[in-house]
Amino acid sequence: MMAWLLLLVPLAGAAAVALAPSGRARMVALAVSTLTFLLSVVMASQFEAWAGGFGIESNAPWLTSFGVGLSIHADSVSMLLVLLTTLLMPLCILGSFTSITTREKEYYAWLLVLQAAMVGVFLARDLLFFYICFEFTLVPMFFLIAIYGGENRSRAAIKFFIYTFTGSMITLAGLVYVAWQFRETQGSWSWDIPALTAFAATGLSPGQQGWVLFALLAGFAVKVPLFPVHTWLPLAHTEAPTAGSVILAGVLLKLGTYGLYRFVLPMVPVAVVEYAPLIAVLSIVGILYAALICWVQQDIKRLIAYSSVSHLGFCVLGLFALNPLGGQGSVLYMLNHGLSTGALFFLVGMMYERYHTRDMRELGGLATVMPVWSFFMVFFVLSSVGLPGLNGFVSEFLCLVAAFAASPDAQPYPGVLGPWYAAFAGLGMIFAAMYLLIMVGKVVFGARREPDADHHHAASSLPADLTPREIGVLVPLAVLCVYLGVQPSVLMDTMEGSIADTLAAYPALVESRPDPTLEAVAEMPVEALVEADAPNFATAPGETIGGDDGDG
Amino acid sequence: MIAANAQLDLLTLGAHHATAIPIAQPTTEMGWAGWILWLPLISLIACGLCAAFRVRNKLPAWLTVGFLGSSFLVTLGLYFQYTEPVTIELFRWIDLSLGTGTDAAGFTANFSLYVDQLSLLWMLFVTGLGTLIALYASEYMESDVGAGYARFFAGVSVFLFAMSALVLGDNLLMLYLGWEGVGFASYWLIGYYYTRPSAVAAAKKAFIVNRIGDLGLALGLYLIWRTFGTIEYSELFERLGSGHHATQAGGWSVRAIPYLLMLGAFGKSAQLPLFVWLPDAMEGPTPVSALIHAATMVTAGVYLLARMFPFLALDAAAAPTVAWIGALTALVAATIGMAQYDIKRIMAYSTVSQLGYMFLGIGVLTTFGAAYHVFTHAFFKAVLFLTCGAIMHGFAGQLDLRKLSGLRQLPGWRITSYTMLYGCLCLVGFPYVTSGFFSKDAIMAQAFISGSTGLGLIALVTALLTAYYTFRVWFRVCAGPVKYELGDDHHGPDDGEGHGDHGDQHGHGEPHAPRLAINLVLVLITTGAFLAIFLKPWAREMVMGSTARNAEPHSEGHGFWQDPHKWMPVVASITTIVGIAIAWHFHLANRKAADALRSRLLANPATAWLPVAMENKWYFDEIYHGLIRLPLWIVGHALAFLDRYLVDLVIVDGIARVPRWVGRAFQPLQNGILQSYAVSMAGGVGLVALLVLYMPQVIKLLEGWLGGGGGG
Repeated sequence: MMAWLLLLVPLAGAAAVALAPSGRARMVALAVSTLTFLLSVVMASQFEAWAGGFGIESNAPWLTSFGVGLSIHADSVSMLLVLLTTLLMPLCILGSFTSITTREKEYYAWLLVLQAAMVGVFLARDLLFFYICFEFTLVPMFFLIAIYGGENRSRAAIKFFIYTFTGSMITLAGLVYVAWQFRETQGSWSWDIPALTAFAATGLSPGQQGWVLFALLAGFAVKVPLFPVHTWLPLAHTEAPTAGSVILAGVLLKLGTYGLYRFVLPMVPVAVVEYAPLIAVLSIVGILYAALICWVQQDIKRLIAYSSVSHLGFCVLGLFALNPLGGQGSVLYMLNHGLSTGALFFLVGMMYERYHTRDMRELGGLATVMPVWSFFMVFFVLSSVGLPGLNGFVSEFLCLVAAFAASPDAQPYPGVLGPWYAAFAGLGMIFAAMYLLIMVGKVVFGARREPDADHHHAASSLPADLTPREIGVLVPLAVLCVYLGVQPSVLMDTMEGSIADTLAAYPALVESRPDPTLEAVAEMPVEALVEADAPNFATAPGETIGGDDGDG
Repeated sequence: MIAANAQLDLLTLGAHHATAIPIAQPTTEMGWAGWILWLPLISLIACGLCAAFRVRNKLPAWLTVGFLGSSFLVTLGLYFQYTEPVTIELFRWIDLSLGTGTDAAGFTANFSLYVDQLSLLWMLFVTGLGTLIALYASEYMESDVGAGYARFFAGVSVFLFAMSALVLGDNLLMLYLGWEGVGFASYWLIGYYYTRPSAVAAAKKAFIVNRIGDLGLALGLYLIWRTFGTIEYSELFERLGSGHHATQAGGWSVRAIPYLLMLGAFGKSAQLPLFVWLPDAMEGPTPVSALIHAATMVTAGVYLLARMFPFLALDAAAAPTVAWIGALTALVAATIGMAQYDIKRIMAYSTVSQLGYMFLGIGVLTTFGAAYHVFTHAFFKAVLFLTCGAIMHGFAGQLDLRKLSGLRQLPGWRITSYTMLYGCLCLVGFPYVTSGFFSKDAIMAQAFISGSTGLGLIALVTALLTAYYTFRVWFRVCAGPVKYELGDDHHGPDDGEGHGDHGDQHGHGEPHAPRLAINLVLVLITTGAFLAIFLKPWAREMVMGSTARNAEPHSEGHGFWQDPHKWMPVVASITTIVGIAIAWHFHLANRKAADALRSRLLANPATAWLPVAMENKWYFDEIYHGLIRLPLWIVGHALAFLDRYLVDLVIVDGIARVPRWVGRAFQPLQNGILQSYAVSMAGGVGLVALLVLYMPQVIKLLEGWLGGGGGG
């Protein structure tokens, strides 16, 4: 039951913030989000399914006749993403103290509501519950952008909302279709994700799987965002307030990749094998396309926004390599990107608070004015570039090596990609160095350039360089970047089991090409299917569903 | 064109490797060797703390010298303890297993050390020279005490850590870690004077050009892993020896391995076509140029190919490719070096050129010659750079050889002048008294045996040019009448403001001669360069005991003129002396003659291009800019434009407008943000409701389509 606290505490906190005296709102919010973080750490330390399978199951009957239950569970991947979310939130709140000066209560309340929704997405076991949380993340984000954003905020907010909402409507249609098919064949409704997954993997014809794949992709690809449905992101990122950008890059984009991991890969494996090359090509085009666009940006925030498109391409490429290297690399990528790109957005925000511009033509040589800021800037840029020893390297490298090794003759995990995919995606490594170092070269180094003096310090009471509070926001991220660069195996060991489960059906499936047959999928762990006859809320709380043994 | 028998040797070597070389065994006893890496890391942290607490004295330098010196002592200890190749695991880094049972595979790259003679050879001079150059820098960088001083030594520490990881790592991923790490340290230190745009640009260029090579190395690593199932050296060499790749041998994926490794090596070691970053890297402080861009880091490519030497046998044309690239780079860089006026840049081009010799050595199968040349070059090139640095330091940034003359007669400059002379003699390979003579001859002679006459002649011509341009520097700068002009800055102001007065002070004053730290280091390294003569047998033994071992092909005959190893010392000596004589004529005896020759060449339209092209470095930068950077930049702008206007504005917004038109048709009064938001929300909910209500019909419809699609 404790896991529910991760949802309820932020929600209660949001209410508390709304009721608190206006000067206290931010401290209340900080306290609540810190408490949530500590709760999630405690939960992670007691989490029973690090080795594989699902843990912290909890069900509450809701619409029993319709098969809907309020139920949650988590595998190690969701657990890690929950930790990322709960870690970023207090930092976002701490980072907003000086940048948000109007309508504070509302702001912090929306942030906490957003946190609850995001945690809900990662923990949901019931499909409708998942979907409600998935869509509900849009509402707080909409207001965060529309109220607290930059000049073009209303257009950005609307575009963000409608674009992602439209995509997810189609995803919903796909998911509802699967549930409908389940009822048609099994005779009762179920919205239990493991049951539906197991059913869809074997019960849908290859043609049906193809349709479902594209329906799911419509929503998740927009969220990731995958080329060519990425154009909402630069606008939303640029206009969002700092904390909004951090959450957007750090967590909301991961809802897309998490959706790919949780639904697309296990639910429609036959279609995945068929279309993985297409998705991989889109990822690679995205990597290079966005990287080249980054190169010519003048707005630093926009540059980092586009770099997210480029980076997430590696993440998706890793997933669709269909081997554990790629799976683990990709999940690690989700976390690492959250840390380093999140930190970069923080840094841009801190600079913006001082200079009120993000235009590289107006800024230069900040290393002499803001040495501490510059240190962190260079540090996180290097992490983002993928310098070995820092976190970004391990995940990027694994995604590439996975794509490389995903040729049909590879053993024990044959795939449908191959060396050429990695070779082209690898060009992204060079481009990333180009655009990020050019940015650093202009802004951090070089001759000192600052916007007009009356801008500088006029609007803010901040000192020239970072304050202890701001350093406090960045240090945890920096420490994690080093730690995960040196000790990635700590995380990779935990996700090994879950990812092996998710990919279990693929080797046989790929072997059976060019006519991938459903028989091949039958090797998938299908304990969940057996239990799916009964509405899932009848399952005893805490009982593990989904294969955690005998499915290697 | 490698002779057939030579190629055969290489292949045979690959096949019998497992028996020829003791495969490294894991040991748990020598964990203390890890301190070779940890000490520079501690040094980094210490320097970082110094920077954070704004230490305003030379503490960072002494800390760095102390920690790096200790690292050298640990290396020495490891050397004396060494009996057979071992691997030492420090901690788990990346260790993934794939599948279970018979199909099991894995991707293992732990933080472990691979200690054999090759890595020891490299580590000895890397840590040794690193310590000495840090000592030198303690004086050289003194004007930055309290400003960039700690940052500088932190960079040096990072470099030593990364270089040690590169050399000592027991797998290719750790090598890659060090590889990128030294690239980053290089970026850090080239851009040390970060307010100077040229330094920032040079730093960026170095990192990016290196990344191109790094991509090659990464892809090579992937291919090796795919083919051999491991990237740990000990297993890798075992599997190569046992023909693990036999089923795929001859396929493109196996034959591509040596070329991809080469790409990495050519990037890091500044060979054609990726050498353009190294001359620009001279923007960094001179100790950095000496340590990183001459003695150690740039030899990483040679180390890579020496370490992975048996893998060159995977494709018959691989070794000749290395040889030709090396020889051509040596020649091209030497021609550019002849026409430069900045003495530090001349040294940079001579480094590129000497690295070319090393690759030529690898390519003609004398790993010993290559490694020995790396070793001797590390010393004498460090001396040359450090003397250039001393001059730059003393003459307020003056590096133009036309504005310096007769230094050896200036009080306080004798040590600099004569250590530089010895460095020059080593570089040109002056007969019998210099280590450069022995190491270069080993390569040039072998080029005639297992290479081709063409390769050998290129090497000889390059030797002639080397003698000329090297002594052009010495005769101009150190010999002749005393005459000098000070430079207009100190060696790079650290920031726009603080050092302006410094520059003035140096601009008009007297040159200040080097003091103890610089002179001591110059003498020590020069001694090292001399003693390296006697280390030839030792170097041979070290290389032959490692994975880089190979039997150098012998010449067919044994007469004097049939065996290049016999006639090369004589021919090379004559070449060298001729080169020095030409330099003496043009740059000491009759300095006007050089200018006269240049103007005569320029006056004749048929030859005017030659000096111009050489002075402009054969336009490599311009060509790359036009062929690669500019088109990419245009594409970038085009894509940014398309993304903003076509993809986003026309397509996305156009589609988005359709429902709005539809909405308008029904609700003409609807406008404003919240309403449209509410409408789209309601519309969405309505859509869901419709979907659920009419699901059976929708399903039927869909199934109609799917029936067609699924059957196909």
